[in-house]
Amino acid sequence: MADPQPPGEAVRIGQQDEAELVARARAGDRAAFGVLVARYAATARRVARAALGDPDDADDAAQDAMLSALVKLDQYDPRRPFGPWLLRIVANAATDRRRRRTVRRVEPLDAALVAGGTRPDQTAERRALGQRLREALATLPARRRIAIVLFDVEGYSHAEIAVVLGIPEGTVRSEVFHARRLLRTLLADWKEEAE
Amino acid sequence: MKESLPFDHRPDPAIGDALRRALEPGDDSAFVARVVAQVERVRAGAGASWDAVLAGWARVGVAAAVTIALAAGYLLGRSAAAPTPRRASVADAVLAPVTSSAEVEVVLASVIDN
Repeated sequence: MADPQPPGEAVRIGQQDEAELVARARAGDRAAFGVLVARYAATARRVARAALGDPDDADDAAQDAMLSALVKLDQYDPRRPFGPWLLRIVANAATDRRRRRTVRRVEPLDAALVAGGTRPDQTAERRALGQRLREALATLPARRRIAIVLFDVEGYSHAEIAVVLGIPEGTVRSEVFHARRLLRTLLADWKEEAE
Repeated sequence: MKESLPFDHRPDPAIGDALRRALEPGDDSAFVARVVAQVERVRAGAGASWDAVLAGWARVGVAAAVTIALAAGYLLGRSAAAPTPRRASVADAVLAPVTSSAEVEVVLASVIDN
């Protein structure tokens, strides 16, 4: 598994280089499209997973979005950053899939897990924290989950997230604020238990 | 008064790191290979790819729209060219060529009455 990158590193790609890649992909260069997919794979999958919860569903949604982006490349304005354009397609694909999903495969929320509970041993600590975070995320509206992942994990600005989600910038700030409030409480509780 | 929200304009590294680990999707190279393979499958669909199908539908749609527009234009033009039937007046009856004595009597009776 790759080491976690600092926020934003994966998406802060030279726009000129990226515009050239997009132009080549649009002209039918499959290798160029492959490079774009590789660059945005992690971000797209995390955003889809934040929206859907289930990792398999998330990968399906991210894949659908990548194919959809390839078909829609003619509609992309090369003067604008590629990331928010692509991630808007990913967010929409994940949201559509979530709506269509008739059987919710995500495990039901365990209130004890979110609120606290017995602390596992040190080796499983990180995994348990991840599980608790995912459970906490699942209690938030999808838009809020995507907003905080794009802001705190991927390093996108409020303005860029507004483009991705198609909502005003002020609403993005509010979504990030509310998501942070929940997650900060959870992390503080976790730290307290650890001490 | 409503309290303003204390927005922080910078990413929170603690939340970011924790979320990144929680949402870690695993091996990206397998995902990339899967997407690229799917693109190849769609493109190798021997003309049966969905974008080709959509393009075909678009052509049929345009042809149907042109046919409907032509038919509508023809029908409108035809109805505009056809004469509108007019109600007969007393003057028409008086000036019209006489075809039977009964008709003459009816017309004269109506004129005398007026």
